[in-house]
Amino acid sequence: MIPVRCFSCGKVISAYFDEYQKRTADGEDPKKVLDDLGITKYCCRRMFITHVEVW
Amino acid sequence: MEITIKNKDDNMMVFVVEGVDIPFINAIRRICTVEVPTLAIEDVDIYKNDAKIFDEALAHRLGLIPIKTDLDSMVLASECDCEDHCPRCSVSLLLKEKGPKIVYSKDLKSQDPNLKPVHDTIPIMKLREGEEVELEAKAQLGIGLEHAKWQPTTSCAYRYYPQITVDTEKCEACAKCVEECPRGILEFDEKENRVIVSDLENCSMCRTCVKGCESNAITVEGQEGKFIFKIETDGSLPPEEVLARACDILSKKTDQIIEFCG
Repeated sequence: MIPVRCFSCGKVISAYFDEYQKRTADGEDPKKVLDDLGITKYCCRRMFITHVEVW
Repeated sequence: MEITIKNKDDNMMVFVVEGVDIPFINAIRRICTVEVPTLAIEDVDIYKNDAKIFDEALAHRLGLIPIKTDLDSMVLASECDCEDHCPRCSVSLLLKEKGPKIVYSKDLKSQDPNLKPVHDTIPIMKLREGEEVELEAKAQLGIGLEHAKWQPTTSCAYRYYPQITVDTEKCEACAKCVEECPRGILEFDEKENRVIVSDLENCSMCRTCVKGCESNAITVEGQEGKFIFKIETDGSLPPEEVLARACDILSKKTDQIIEFCG
């Protein structure tokens, strides 16, 4: 499961993860989705990009 | 002291302060992050947990969920006169779910409808077919000095207000600095044949333009006593309230020193 908050700054990123996953699965560009969701800092963006949902 | 708000939304604010010194602005920053109280889950009674996630990992995830806070109606647990928990110092949140499903923060049922998780869509745990979870979580006020889950702010920082000066006598109008700037802050005015600063507040003071200038005509420095302050909260409190509370706490501290001296 995705961590509740960003490791570096503490922003609650998990609240946006479902939408991110759904939209990227539909073929949208991750960059565009993150901009849309208001995830602007690079520490928070790597939380989404590098996450692998294993179970 | 002069304050101008540059950018603001529900849980973020950027403003420029002028006429203050570093010790003062840094005191405000530190109090904002670490001494303004906020609500977070502290005790969790787990009655049943069949899921793959361990109890302590589950409790840890619960602790990180920000909860809307009303500082006027609550007191810190250490200052409350009750023995264990009471509505004045804590809020109970109940969770009872049965799989298969993903449990979200909206499934936490709060005793007090005003003090509930800020976000509805934080995934807490996954339940498979037939698995059940039942728990009671108690949220308390606390401060960031004790645990980071009680920090009301996420990023809270200030930086010098930049000042870029181009010496027109030395400048050879080669426009190399315009190319060098990674943020596109400088522009070259073809008509007047000189470099102009178009977006000063976005300057990160990296000084790449200074290194690129062969005639040493450009200087970048921070203005003394002028800062750009950014405060972002986790949603439990609005940024204005965090700042106002921080100022109250600072003035209370100074009052204590005055009292001690007098």
